Amino acid sequence: MAKKPDDRRLELLQGTLDMLILRTLQWGPQHGHGIGQAIRAQSDDLLKVETGSLYPALHRLEKRGWLKSEWDVSEANQRAKYYRLTATGKTQLSRERDRWSQLVNAIGRIMNPAPAGKE
Amino acid sequence: MRPDQNDLDEEIRGHLALSVKERIERGEDPKAARLAALKEFGSVMLTRDSMRGVWRNRWLDMAEALGQDIRVALRSLWRAKGLVATVVVTLGLGIGANAAIFSVVRDVLLRPLVNRDEDRLIYIRQSAPGLGAENTTFSVPEIADFQSRVTTLSAFGDFSTIDFSMIGFGEPRMVKAGVVGGSFFDVMGLRPVLGRLLNAADDGPDAAGVAVLTYRFWTASLNGDPSVVGRTLRLGSRSATVVGVLEPSVPYPADTEIIANVVTSPHHLGATMVTGRTHRMTELFGRLAPGATLEAARAELADVHAAMMREHPEAYPAQAEMQLSATPLRDQITAPARTILLVLLATAGVVFVIACSNVANLILARAVRREGELAVRAALGASSGALRRTLLGESLVLCGAGAVLGVLLARPLVAVVARYAARFSVRALDVTVDASLLWVGAGLAAAAAVLLAYIPRLPSPQAPRGLGLASGSARLTPGTNRRLRVFAISQIALSFVLLAGAGMLVAALIALQAVNTGYNTRQVLALDVPAAVGDVSVQAIDFYQEMVQRIGELPGVEGVAVGTFVPWRDAGSFGPGFPFAVEGYTGANGEENPHARLRIVSPGFFAVLGVPMVTGRDFTAEDRRESELVVIVSQSVAQRLFPNGNAVNRKLWWTDPLFGKPQPRRIVGVVTDVDDENVVRGPALTIYHPFQQMGVAGRLFVHTSGDPYALVPPVRKIIRELSPNQPVERAATLEDVRAEVLAPERVNAFVFSGFAGVALLIAVVGVSGVLAFSVSARTREFGVRVAIGSTPRRLLVSVLSEGALIVAVGIVAGAGGGYAFARLAASYLENVRLPGALPILGAAAILAGAAVLASLMPAARASRVDVLQALRLE
Repeated sequence: MAKKPDDRRLELLQGTLDMLILRTLQWGPQHGHGIGQAIRAQSDDLLKVETGSLYPALHRLEKRGWLKSEWDVSEANQRAKYYRLTATGKTQLSRERDRWSQLVNAIGRIMNPAPAGKE
Repeated sequence: MRPDQNDLDEEIRGHLALSVKERIERGEDPKAARLAALKEFGSVMLTRDSMRGVWRNRWLDMAEALGQDIRVALRSLWRAKGLVATVVVTLGLGIGANAAIFSVVRDVLLRPLVNRDEDRLIYIRQSAPGLGAENTTFSVPEIADFQSRVTTLSAFGDFSTIDFSMIGFGEPRMVKAGVVGGSFFDVMGLRPVLGRLLNAADDGPDAAGVAVLTYRFWTASLNGDPSVVGRTLRLGSRSATVVGVLEPSVPYPADTEIIANVVTSPHHLGATMVTGRTHRMTELFGRLAPGATLEAARAELADVHAAMMREHPEAYPAQAEMQLSATPLRDQITAPARTILLVLLATAGVVFVIACSNVANLILARAVRREGELAVRAALGASSGALRRTLLGESLVLCGAGAVLGVLLARPLVAVVARYAARFSVRALDVTVDASLLWVGAGLAAAAAVLLAYIPRLPSPQAPRGLGLASGSARLTPGTNRRLRVFAISQIALSFVLLAGAGMLVAALIALQAVNTGYNTRQVLALDVPAAVGDVSVQAIDFYQEMVQRIGELPGVEGVAVGTFVPWRDAGSFGPGFPFAVEGYTGANGEENPHARLRIVSPGFFAVLGVPMVTGRDFTAEDRRESELVVIVSQSVAQRLFPNGNAVNRKLWWTDPLFGKPQPRRIVGVVTDVDDENVVRGPALTIYHPFQQMGVAGRLFVHTSGDPYALVPPVRKIIRELSPNQPVERAATLEDVRAEVLAPERVNAFVFSGFAGVALLIAVVGVSGVLAFSVSARTREFGVRVAIGSTPRRLLVSVLSEGALIVAVGIVAGAGGGYAFARLAASYLENVRLPGALPILGAAAILAGAAVLASLMPAARASRVDVLQALRLE
């Protein structure tokens, strides 16, 4: 998996952004910018969420009822929209977490028993 | 929940601000930080669009976009006020007329009656088509037969009409009263609003006289005075106590002021009434027995009627072809209004179509002018749905305004239409305006709006015909031009149908008014001075003779006479005539005795009314009760029964049992025929009796050289001096009586002419608009034609002939379509008539003339085209 150092950033896997957002909000309400920063920091800068994907995703999750939003003033004294996990959002997060670990498990079983060479 | 545009913007702004702030905190240069943040963010617009995309809901979005389009439409229409005014007024008229007529149709034809279980209530009618009698009513023995034999009807109610002179509410006057049996109100299923109604205890000859007031009389004449119950009235020679007030209900068969029990009418207790099978004066109602159907009741009634006819052949002459019919009461009540209202509804619908097609023309022309704008939008990627929505926005604004105007107009129109319809059905008096009017108006407007938005052709995005279109000049494509013409032609065609129909009604009215009635109608004043029928007492005769003599002495009076029957106004009140026989005349084998009208007149009657004697003498004061019985006959009687000789001095007698033993009467004179039953004269067999021998008559005729109405007060004064309680009513010249009788025809002609006029106006505006538009779109062509030597005159002629062609095609299409429609209508409705040649030619001439006038202005403009300006246009 050796890459050029400035290109070590990973593409998000399809369908994982929602889970990451939900997970991030588990620590408490946060605005869009903060969520983006948190994902980036938590992944040691490996994952960077594009705003063009992040914001539509936030609105999509809100429409489904997993998030709730309200306007508030940020620590930097800037008005921002804060997103908060709802009860159904929490259930959804645990469901996605299960599915994710099953997926990792399944892929791991395929990838590990027969250690292949480099691609 | 659903964030709006500002919400999204602010969220993005907040993100950027935080991002910038963070970078500055990290030590970046503020300007560079800003740029970097924006760069990192990517396309703000795309992000915002996909955020909004998350929340998208098809319907809400469409509504939002439509709202946007409506705002645009309002702004763009503000610049075309003339167009807006024309469209809104045209649509408003169309919508208003339709909504108003719909309200009246619904209330008159569709609303149930107030009567309990009104769908079980039927009206039974006996008719004698052979005698031309649509309604012979029933006699008491006939009703008794039905009551004892019919099982499909649970009960019968009877109602007869009689005139009483009534004392007790103000001045003595004649009232029309209903006389009913004890079961009437129960069968009709009506309730009192005050006191009680009549019941079985009030029936029969031994009950006390009681009367119920109708609601209209109680509210209109007595101001709803609750103290009327218990008051005693004098009705003719008897008295009656008011026991209650009837709830508001459709007065049928007659609109009376009071309804009394039989004991109040000596006539109803007499032997003639009770036992005379041919003494028919009672209307009959029935209530279907539980479980019985209308068909079963009809069949049983017909059987019983047939049996009655077999058992009493003398009361049912074969020649009369007597028949029985039973109809649900509501159908019976609404029948006279049905045809007229449906025709009115259809007419209003046609006017609406004309209005819509005219508006479509205007919109189409406007759309052509906007084609440039639409083409640019299509080229920039607007979907055809979005373009349609733009057009829909405009037509919604226009139609909405039209609907508002229409509903505003509809309220007063309902009152007008209801008053009109009241001539055909009393139900129209109770028509109300309610919210459904709004729904109808809104529905029509919405239909019009959608229709109008789909009429203009959209520029195709595949083949935008160059941005040259955006320069603002309109160019007419053949397709659009054809549509404009089709609309103009359909307007002409529909207007033609309406004009021809209105022309037919007007022609019929003119014919009716031009008819010579045989009477001196202008100078004769007729008054009702009612008296008891058949009163030959000395006092009664003296009263009338004294009255005639004293009125005759008034200045300006040229003659005074007494009769029984005000021509036309009293039509039908003496029935279809009575059979009589003539000395020395035997009809062909099996022929029944002829029937003649019976009239009672005083000496001088014929001179006063201007009816010339043919031969013989008039009655004189010497034709008394105790002297020889004499009659005067009409010319038709003389010619029919004495074809070869002089009728004078021959004898005739009535053969109807009503007259008791036949008494021969000598004919002393013959007068020209007059028809006092019909305004359009038919041959009338009439036999006149001198009033001293047959009883006083109750109608006074005064011939004057001056203003007839100026005589009313002195005449009334003289009569009151002779008899203080004598009612004197309904003074009118015969001319005005005839006008009153013709009023429905006149109103019909007026209403339909009004519709046709509106249609004509709209159609003329339409033709003129199409030509004006065609001229303005062809300015360049005209410029070129003038430049290469065409004369303005030829351009004028070419535009005029374009207009003439539209009209010609429209008239032909209208004539064809109208004929086909009339044939179709004739298979569903009775009495469908086609207009004669004159109304058709007249309608065509009016349309052609109007269209030429409408073409003149655009044509003149075409002929004045300025060559240079026209060529510079492009």
